[in-house]
Amino acid sequence: MKGFKDHNPIAVTVYFLAVAGIAMFNMNVVIFTSLLAGSLILFFIYYRTKSAKTHLFSVVFFITMAILNPVFSHNGVTVLFVMNNNPVTLEAILYGCFTATVIIAVLYCFRCFSQIMTSDKLLYIFGALSPKTALILSMSLRYVPLFGGQIEKINKAQKALGAYKDDNILDTLKTGLRISSITITWAIENGITTADSMTARGYGSGKRSRFSVFRFCAGDFLLIGIISLLTIVTLFGIKDMKYVYYPAIVPPKTTLFGVVGYIAYALLVLLPVIYHIKEAVLWKYLRSKI
Amino acid sequence: MEILKVENLTFSYPLCNRPALNDVSFTVQKGEFIALCGTTGGGKTTLLRLLKKEIAPLGDLSGNIYFNGANLNDLSAAQSAGKIGFVMQNPEQQIVTDKVWHELAFGLENLNLPREVIARKIAEISAFFGIEDWFDKKVSELSGGQKQLLNLAAVTVMEPEILILDEPTAQLDPVAAADFIAAIKKLNRELSLTVIIAEHRLEEIIPLCDKLLILENGAPMFFDLPRKAASAVKNTPEVLNFMPSAVRLFAAVGEGEECPLDVCEGREYLQNNFKNDLKTIEQTPYTHNQNPALEFVNVCFRYDKNLPDVLSDLTFTVYKNEIFCIVGGNGSGKTTMLSVAANIEKPYCGTVKVFGKKLKEYKNQSLYKECLSMLPQDVQTVFLKNTVEEELDGFVPPYDMQDLYGKHPYDLSGGQQQLLALAKVLATKPKLLLLDEPTKGLDANAKLRLIQILKDLKADGVTVVLVTHDIEFAALCADRCAMLFRGEIVSCDIPRNFFSSNSIYTTAAHRITRGYFDNAITVEDAAELCLKNGRRCGKDR
Repeated sequence: MKGFKDHNPIAVTVYFLAVAGIAMFNMNVVIFTSLLAGSLILFFIYYRTKSAKTHLFSVVFFITMAILNPVFSHNGVTVLFVMNNNPVTLEAILYGCFTATVIIAVLYCFRCFSQIMTSDKLLYIFGALSPKTALILSMSLRYVPLFGGQIEKINKAQKALGAYKDDNILDTLKTGLRISSITITWAIENGITTADSMTARGYGSGKRSRFSVFRFCAGDFLLIGIISLLTIVTLFGIKDMKYVYYPAIVPPKTTLFGVVGYIAYALLVLLPVIYHIKEAVLWKYLRSKI
Repeated sequence: MEILKVENLTFSYPLCNRPALNDVSFTVQKGEFIALCGTTGGGKTTLLRLLKKEIAPLGDLSGNIYFNGANLNDLSAAQSAGKIGFVMQNPEQQIVTDKVWHELAFGLENLNLPREVIARKIAEISAFFGIEDWFDKKVSELSGGQKQLLNLAAVTVMEPEILILDEPTAQLDPVAAADFIAAIKKLNRELSLTVIIAEHRLEEIIPLCDKLLILENGAPMFFDLPRKAASAVKNTPEVLNFMPSAVRLFAAVGEGEECPLDVCEGREYLQNNFKNDLKTIEQTPYTHNQNPALEFVNVCFRYDKNLPDVLSDLTFTVYKNEIFCIVGGNGSGKTTMLSVAANIEKPYCGTVKVFGKKLKEYKNQSLYKECLSMLPQDVQTVFLKNTVEEELDGFVPPYDMQDLYGKHPYDLSGGQQQLLALAKVLATKPKLLLLDEPTKGLDANAKLRLIQILKDLKADGVTVVLVTHDIEFAALCADRCAMLFRGEIVSCDIPRNFFSSNSIYTTAAHRITRGYFDNAITVEDAAELCLKNGRRCGKDR
């Protein structure tokens, strides 16, 4: 029994590419609203109620965009009022709200993405493209925090040794420079040991194979199948989803393809949530049988 | 069957007139456990690295090394990588990737093994070493001991026939070191893996090993059963210092009997051979100066609001001109205590006074001017310059470092780095010296030298506060000892009373003599009492 995020990283990446790709090339209110709704639900599933800051940012961002866009853009036919000899139009306000929704929806979407795609899953994706890159990435993922930690350690040690003799900026700067220079030396020294450890374990002795803890199984194929199907259906309806914002807002005509496309996209966006519910229900069911 | 044969191996580094290894010959049988010891600079690392051709040092080499009957140079790259495993000293630097499972797979990937084989081998090794619990973790989340165990597992997963370890426990605390040595013992006993291990910490290794190889100035001075070592090194104090307490006691008082190797055998040897009419050693009463140098009053500290207290209501006083040792296990708050004393971390309640003045009252970095100085645990963090001479910047330390002046600080040995870092700390002319684990990575001789230096500093009026895992070291150098447990001082006394009232957390010499003698805490104490009491007569036995 697999939740959505336990699927093979390739399937998960395909999913996020499909969801974001359709939304990016299709500036449509319905599409974006469903993306925002889907991402928000998923976000609450993963983060619970912990991220008050993110939500606050979204609200502030939304209001700012809604106010700022009409200040700079005076396009549109419906003039609401005139400010400093510049017309403020309904279209500009709506367009501002709309762009804000787009950005917030994508933001939530990517927060969910980063929650699912941990560094080792990303590496797996890169490794599929090039094993060498994957190894370099894996090593840098280890080294960058190590390097930062060492700077911190040296800094503390030097402070207790009285390296920052006076409280003046020049002295602090000089010591700071010294510390970064010696940390580079330290990193190179470190690198030599690591290189020894690598050759000692046969790195560079020939062709490398690649191991990962992720497997590709039937469930992953099924997921990719569902994603492809929904994406294709959405793409069929895409020509009936064209919105015109300026000078006046003209929604596209409602057609069968369009409506089916909207439904398909909504399903696509809600797919992780559906998986999540399915998992919960299935678990309850299995438990009740035990 | 012999697995490794070294024949007349002589090696010198470029631009060095003295060979690092001089005519070394020995053979190792399959499944043997060989301990390698010797003074720093005696050629241990050079010898071990020459056995692993990928990381062999460059220089003039003569003589031959045979692995399973074939010359080492004729092995294929894959064979050499897989069959000979090598673990180095520093746990952090040997790790290549960011995830535990990836690190385990790294060597096998290099051998171009298919996925299924790698998966199986990793599963086996994880079960063997019990690392399933942290299999999915990031390497950065592991403790030092776990990192070194991971390094061992990552080498063992390649199924080597011989395992070479170069001071693998030097950077670990005693508990982690014991776990690591237990893992090696398990590999040797259960998989009959041949092991060659170079170590400073022979207390645990010697009772385990089949043979002991002692290198002295690049030449083998002893290669035989460890029981025979005591008589061979009796007159070479630099080598004798490495030996376990039981062996040192035997070297001081033994006469041709079988040499005891560990605490258990030591007790038996002592009780069978010596009387115990006189049980106690005279203790000259210790009087300390009345002026406090460092005071902690009800100090509480935590790193984060949601984390538990690291220091809770910590109260103690260190008086002027004494050497005060704080011992304690991992996570007992030792390092944090020092950071608080050095004003690097600020406690949320309680006061810290240095020479009677609150830390807050030291304005404008004046705390660090000819007053207080701290030597951190990782001494490499002290160095900022490119040579020893620049580092010292005209300061002449109370010990000789002249011949190292041209070298880069990172190129020095562990002991030399410690001395240089200490010199740099002393250059600020502290009256209160804080030392964090000063014996980490030091061999027995370097420790003895450090003790002498600290005693000289004390004679010059410096107060020394040091925290350490190393109870043998604390017993030798402290005026007073304290034990820190969960952020509190649970006991504090002069070393003789402190260690003789502890029954578990105490020196090996006291564990050998406990119940038989009352307050012998060092090998010297035990030997003195043995000689004073005299031997049992034949009928007493």
